[in-house]
Amino acid sequence: MTDHEAIQELLAGYVLRSLSGEDAAEADRILTDHVPGCDECRATLDAFQAVAGDLALGAPAAAPPDTLRARLRKELEPRAPSRWNAGRIVAIAASVVVVVGVGAVALTRGGGGLANGQLARADLQDVTKAAVMSDATHQPLGQATEISAPATEKLYIYGTGIPLPPTGNVYRLWAGSPDQPRYIGDFLPTDDGTLLLEVMLPASSVGALFVTVEPEGSAPGQPGDVVWDTAA
Amino acid sequence: MRDGDREDLELHRRLTSGDRAAFDELYHRYAGPAYGLALRVTGQQILAQDVVHDAFLALWRAPEAYDAARGPFRTFFLALVHHRAVDLVRRESRLRARSERAANLEPLVGEDPADAIAEESYLGVRRKEVREALAALPPEQRQVLEMAYFGGKTQVQISDELGIPLGTVKTRTFAAMRKLRTALEDTG
Repeated sequence: MTDHEAIQELLAGYVLRSLSGEDAAEADRILTDHVPGCDECRATLDAFQAVAGDLALGAPAAAPPDTLRARLRKELEPRAPSRWNAGRIVAIAASVVVVVGVGAVALTRGGGGLANGQLARADLQDVTKAAVMSDATHQPLGQATEISAPATEKLYIYGTGIPLPPTGNVYRLWAGSPDQPRYIGDFLPTDDGTLLLEVMLPASSVGALFVTVEPEGSAPGQPGDVVWDTAA
Repeated sequence: MRDGDREDLELHRRLTSGDRAAFDELYHRYAGPAYGLALRVTGQQILAQDVVHDAFLALWRAPEAYDAARGPFRTFFLALVHHRAVDLVRRESRLRARSERAANLEPLVGEDPADAIAEESYLGVRRKEVREALAALPPEQRQVLEMAYFGGKTQVQISDELGIPLGTVKTRTFAAMRKLRTALEDTG
């Protein structure tokens, strides 16, 4: 079996939603690292996904109860122009590509979130995927937006036009309240003001978030003045 | 591209501008196949309703999640329903016994049910092609495919249940998917 065949064997399990454990982790890795740049594997993934969609027709159709349609009708709120329309996602992607190109995404290292693994730079695709899930919630976190997807327990923070804190300082992310803070990590926006972060904790375990400005490298003791919070 | 797929594309285009009539038409087309699939995977009417409800609501709220460059709307939407149904079964371990029962209903192949509802003719044609492609698979390949897809089982669970090596499950699944790809691309 060639490397491509081994990858495509994994993709077959992936589109059927039947991977678990190490295989699922390996599929996530190749979907990020290999598939986007490999025409053959991308074509196979698309073709397998089409098969997986068509397989649905292997089950007999059945009429859903009328109450389902009535329930949906009630919930179809008039749709405001989506904050996550394709143009916006492309715009964010473009900005992130530029940023990645110059390596300017900077999370502080000393005593920061990366050290304890609770804060990391998010993958744009993951954020957009979470943002459009039906159960996703978007709420302001100061100048950024917190995106929480309960079904997958993912929690992201996204923003543009975020100013840098004063020189020698970082933003510090906390869960809970200033009286009962739980330190999550330190971060800085990119030079063009983009923030794309993943909180590496189950969304349901985090609760309210707030952000303070603290001296870079300082120990995360008592939070200073709150500059952003989700309650606002 | 088939006429039905072309019509779906147009309905999806209207949906992106918030057209409720387009949503209603897509519901009319896909509620039956979606509910049938969700019922097969979850084995419970209440859960199947939740799956279909959530899938249609997600479609309404974020129609841009569908990328026409990557395939027909039909396969995108039904795959979305499938993912939600499988995820629900996995989350609800108490459903395991029910889902097993559902997945072990009479085999799909050889089954010629009068579908409970009338559907668009192009979907009926595709349904026949899918069933024929499934029927043409070697039984051992069809078995692992159906356990994964309609039973919502992981490859590890299938390996345990059938008492065969995990590698064999992977090989059979891959072979089945390649055959289905060829068969359905030829007819699609």
